Amino acid sequence: MNFITKYIQDGHEFRGSPKIPTQERVNNFSGGYPKGPGWPKKTIHTNLEFAKSCGLTACAASGAMPEGYLTQLMIELFGIDWLRHGKMTLKFIATVKPDDTVLPKAIVRDRQIEDRNIRFIMEVWCENQDGKKVVVGTASGLLQQ
Amino acid sequence: MGVGEEFESLAFTVTPEFNQQYLDAVEDYHPRYLQETEGGQPMVHPALLVNYSNIPKTPSFNLQPGTAAIHTHEEIEFLNPGTVGKTFYVRWKVVDIYEKRGRTYQVKEVTVTDEDGLKILRRRMTDTYFSGGQG
Repeated sequence: MNFITKYIQDGHEFRGSPKIPTQERVNNFSGGYPKGPGWPKKTIHTNLEFAKSCGLTACAASGAMPEGYLTQLMIELFGIDWLRHGKMTLKFIATVKPDDTVLPKAIVRDRQIEDRNIRFIMEVWCENQDGKKVVVGTASGLLQQ
Repeated sequence: MGVGEEFESLAFTVTPEFNQQYLDAVEDYHPRYLQETEGGQPMVHPALLVNYSNIPKTPSFNLQPGTAAIHTHEEIEFLNPGTVGKTFYVRWKVVDIYEKRGRTYQVKEVTVTDEDGLKILRRRMTDTYFSGGQG
């Protein structure tokens, strides 16, 4: 079970659920809504020929997918109130390809007192099945006392 | 688009089916996104709101064939959960443009609010654009 308590030490690592952004899931994410004729919309995420026309060798999942995985991990750690006070700063450093396995992770790096609550500062990233980081950054959330 | 200019804003309504499509996409089936919550309707998955406030979602997004936008980095602040059934409004304002290693980067401030004026997301995001051959 992943959750933050005031007893968690700096350096503690949390892992979210591994995710597999299959092409079907990527299409659901980036193909548009509602589904109808012409769905999914042709983008670098959903269509190989379109991706190649832009110089890519394969479709690339939207960076918002691993961002969503990190958001899910932060909500596990801090509860749903994280959607009222959570912050992230992210860099998208490598592409996620369909059928990659993506694992979101977080390490506690610091904490600050904020209105009698504790704001935890986390190093966060997502890595693929080869251990290569695809998104890196920091996230923070409040542990309310 | 130059500094200070705004892209055309977007309004969209999140139905249960729309939300479900994103739950399937990110493999997250927590009951808060499927069933009524203390606040009433289920919550919108945050990944939906993040993706629908990316720059390709503005109605004025128009790139030459063979060109794509690449999201390079961002700061994002979550202010409130979104609720299924609500209409959301997204605004994008260009706040900086710079060049680095021969590539142009555009920085936008982005806000997402719901139909009641509740602030949902605030983002400062940077994109670059590339075309075939630029890789």
